[in-house]
Amino acid sequence: MLCDKCKKNEAKIYYTEIINGEKTEQHLCEECAAEYTSFPMGTAFMDQEITLGSLLSTILGNYYNNNPHGAEPAEKEISCNGCGMTYSEFLRDGRFGCAKCYDSFRKILEKSIKNIQGSDTHTGKKPKGFESKTQKLVKELSELDKLSLRLQDAIEKEEFEEAAKLRDKIRELKKEEINNA
Amino acid sequence: MLKWYKDAGQNNDVVISSRVRLARNLKNYPFSVKLTEKQAAELVEKVKAATEVIENQATMKFYGCSADVLGDTEKAAMVERHIISPLLVAKEQSTGLILSEDESISIMINEEDHLRIQSITGGMNIGKAFHEANKIDDITGEIFDYAFHEKYGYLTSCPTNVGTGLRASYMVFLPALTIAGKIIKLAEELGQYGIALRGTYGEASKSVGSLFQISNQKTLGSTEKEIMEALDRIVEQVMKQERRQREYILTNNYDEFEDKVHRSYGVLKYAKQISSGDAMTLLAQLKLGMDMNLIHLGDSYNIHELMMEIQPGNLQCQLDKNVGSMQRDKFRADYIRKKLPEHV
Repeated sequence: MLCDKCKKNEAKIYYTEIINGEKTEQHLCEECAAEYTSFPMGTAFMDQEITLGSLLSTILGNYYNNNPHGAEPAEKEISCNGCGMTYSEFLRDGRFGCAKCYDSFRKILEKSIKNIQGSDTHTGKKPKGFESKTQKLVKELSELDKLSLRLQDAIEKEEFEEAAKLRDKIRELKKEEINNA
Repeated sequence: MLKWYKDAGQNNDVVISSRVRLARNLKNYPFSVKLTEKQAAELVEKVKAATEVIENQATMKFYGCSADVLGDTEKAAMVERHIISPLLVAKEQSTGLILSEDESISIMINEEDHLRIQSITGGMNIGKAFHEANKIDDITGEIFDYAFHEKYGYLTSCPTNVGTGLRASYMVFLPALTIAGKIIKLAEELGQYGIALRGTYGEASKSVGSLFQISNQKTLGSTEKEIMEALDRIVEQVMKQERRQREYILTNNYDEFEDKVHRSYGVLKYAKQISSGDAMTLLAQLKLGMDMNLIHLGDSYNIHELMMEIQPGNLQCQLDKNVGSMQRDKFRADYIRKKLPEHV
């Protein structure tokens, strides 16, 4: 017997449906049975998926509304100094307006981002030539400052041989500076 | 040039393809929701203009265009082939696309983020897909000033993508687990490890022909390599479960199953009209039969290619005209009959 629905495949499932006392009987193939009946054939859950946007707003909103520090009362809306987006605007569909939003909303974001991502610090790829604040600071230091920092580090780690070498270098540099002046 | 999907790749009885997507934004433009149409048009032009540089440095042929030059059918076909996303098509703002000749690499311009760099390979090889996408990212990163944050990494429109901006996903074929009714449970289990199981066309879509997507959910806090390794470990487990379930079916219902596979082949080979849903279900049966050595259509036959070609958009592109669904169903049946090899 062929399936009552598609009339192509062999019917393998005998399906009886009773709705409000009215009985209908159908012979269905497995594909049609999966599609037309309420048998849990595996794909039904896709329909019930909660849209990520609304779920996200809930996570982000929870923290916003229960701010433990009370530093940002709800009536005083924070907005981004880059694009003017307000936090409630962001909550509505979970999309930021510009790169500056991340810093503008940082206080609120700090904890909620951990909820979403399980972490709050990037450890992956960096754009070529990107310098972190510490790297920039180090770059601006003079040779002498760098050596003194390394010296302190060496002493702390009890690497005294290295420390002695560094001390000699520093003395030399200082001598040169005096001579140049 | 051979399209990427002609190459079936490793573990292709379960893993159909591997795909990597990197989300990037330009520092000097607001993100999508705050972008004016004027800025959007400017952004598309600017990125499009980089096509030549990308082409030279990547030593691959690329096409760049504004999305509005693409016809509706062409766009639908590209969504079906996973080159562009439904969101890009639905967007009213200016959008654009840069696409490699073999269709393995695409850059969507002004989708949810300014740039969505995507790379796709056949079979299980996320490493290769990442390598290619990363190469393009290095090139575009030199041309454009990215929005990058010291703490949060690559900034994205949605905080679920921030950090690496990486979504690594496998398209998997899970017919045996589907028949066994284990998909919902699997999705729950994967969720506990931060891995999402979605329908064939991503978020909130249904599964077609027992094809699903498995991808990482978290993008911040782990390196790209760690994300992909974790995903690989999970997918290997899924693969094992699917194969075990297939063996189970074969052991318990060999005759019934063999019959089913050959019936599917029969309908596909002789039907005069067939809808894409029907065809996908039958092709899935046939692929499963081939993977399990119940039917032989030649060693090198790649059924996934046919699965993509018979989708409504792709079929209309072949026909080169817009036709109603009835006529399309007839054309689809003809197409399958011609393309499907005789069994040996």
